[in-house]
Amino acid sequence: MERTMFDLESQIRKWRRHIQSAGSLGAQDVEELESHLRDTIDELTERGVNVEEAFIVAVHRMGDADELHHEFSKLPTESVWKQLLVPAADEDARRRERTEFTVVLMLALLGGLLGKLPAVFGHTMVEENALIYARNAAFFAFVPVAIYFVWRRALSWRFALIASATFTVFAVLVNVYPSYEPFHNQALAVIHVPIALLLLLGVLYAGERWRDSNVRLDFVRFAGEVFIYAVLLGLGGLVLTGVAGAMFILVGIDITSFISNWLAVFGASGITVVAAYLVEKKKGAIETLAPVLARVFTPLFALLLLGLIIAMVVTGQAPSEDRELLIMFDIVLALVLGLVLYTMSARDAEKPAELWDGIVLALVVLAFAANAIAFSGIIGRLVTYGFSPNKAAALGENILLMLNLAMLGVGYVRFVSGRTTYQSVIEWQMRYLPIHAAWAAFVVLAFPPLFGFI
Amino acid sequence: MDIQKDLVAASATPIVLSILRQGDSYGYAIIKSVREVSGERIAWTDGMLYPVLHRLEAAGFVKATWTTAENGRRRKYYHITSQGETELARLREQWDVVHNALKRLAEPDNTGA
Repeated sequence: MERTMFDLESQIRKWRRHIQSAGSLGAQDVEELESHLRDTIDELTERGVNVEEAFIVAVHRMGDADELHHEFSKLPTESVWKQLLVPAADEDARRRERTEFTVVLMLALLGGLLGKLPAVFGHTMVEENALIYARNAAFFAFVPVAIYFVWRRALSWRFALIASATFTVFAVLVNVYPSYEPFHNQALAVIHVPIALLLLLGVLYAGERWRDSNVRLDFVRFAGEVFIYAVLLGLGGLVLTGVAGAMFILVGIDITSFISNWLAVFGASGITVVAAYLVEKKKGAIETLAPVLARVFTPLFALLLLGLIIAMVVTGQAPSEDRELLIMFDIVLALVLGLVLYTMSARDAEKPAELWDGIVLALVVLAFAANAIAFSGIIGRLVTYGFSPNKAAALGENILLMLNLAMLGVGYVRFVSGRTTYQSVIEWQMRYLPIHAAWAAFVVLAFPPLFGFI
Repeated sequence: MDIQKDLVAASATPIVLSILRQGDSYGYAIIKSVREVSGERIAWTDGMLYPVLHRLEAAGFVKATWTTAENGRRRKYYHITSQGETELARLREQWDVVHNALKRLAEPDNTGA
């Protein structure tokens, strides 16, 4: 029984993905259809039909996905009756799109205005106050995205409250904590605030379904795609501002200060919400790009790690700079985790194990091994020399990432050897994810008082 | 006997509005009502109801609100507006005209003469 229920969930997820794929259905439309599908299944199973059959009947009754898209996206001209009875759906859809587009533009603008908040407190020049802008950058970028989710998903006031409370606590503490030389806590905030706030965005992305592993995985995919979009937009923006700056200098006007204090602040702050909007709207292109990126870089990364391990074993070189090494390996492990997550989000959970899963497993094992070898020699030194906030944060992350990779490794071995389903690997990984954010939040909020605000 | 596709499509709006006039409802329950009142003879592809509902919403004939059912499932309930009531009355009149015309034409002493 447990197993059939479990299969049903993944089947429904596949169905949802299928009808979502062409993009004419919004999140609410899909949710409405899913609710309908589940009602049908419930009624049939109550009448004694088994779950699988009920699912098949329900999907059949719902109708062909292509036809649904056709209906949802535009009116075929031959169906004159529709135009006669009610205004065309295109127009409605277009109006909704226009509203959404306006909202997103306003939110991007809001991000820019938030980005100018430090100026209100007297920190006008971005370059001279880089650390202030950097540690608050996540707020400028994420507050608009959070509002966008609350608006688009019509979330309840509870979510809005959680979001405002979280943002307020983080923003206030990050900025009012005192900070003394060498300003470790400020530098740590730059990296850890976004990681911690990603959890909040995930909750807002999922809405009421935040407990569902598959929704969490959807968010992972979403976040990855937003990142790609944001990088592409950012590159475009750089080219644009570069050309603009050069041209104005040619006509004798120096707009460098305008670019760095206004254009860059508004651009960088607004880019995330625009990217989020683009991913929500026009999935197609990137959805096929992300898995390709994962496929290209997973084997390459595995080879790189293999080379690193061989080099470390052959030379027997004891790594000298503890903190640098910790940070470098944290980045390596985080990248590996990112690759695995991307692969995970692009993989069909139903498909049996294949060669590709072996390659992913190899990557995980190699990353784990490289990390273990690098630190076996210096673990004593790490502890005896005491902890700076930087070192403690990096070490904590290293341990969390190692545990995560160990868990993934065990999960993949069990899956490849046929002892568990891929879905259960996903479940474990998705349950683990918030721990990373929790640690980041701990670093931001608790480290400064713990380490005397250095 | 299956109802012809065009006719099903054309009757969708008055049928949905009529059902909603009896009380607020959501997609799944609307489909069920349609099956029941037509003695299973009007069978819609379930999914096709939603574009119709959304069009009605866009036209201001119905209003939709999300609610959570006892079993925790989120449902979108539709409520007929006064505009929708007016529209329904108009449509019913049209259907009556068509219906009466057909009926009169079917009477033996009225064969087009």
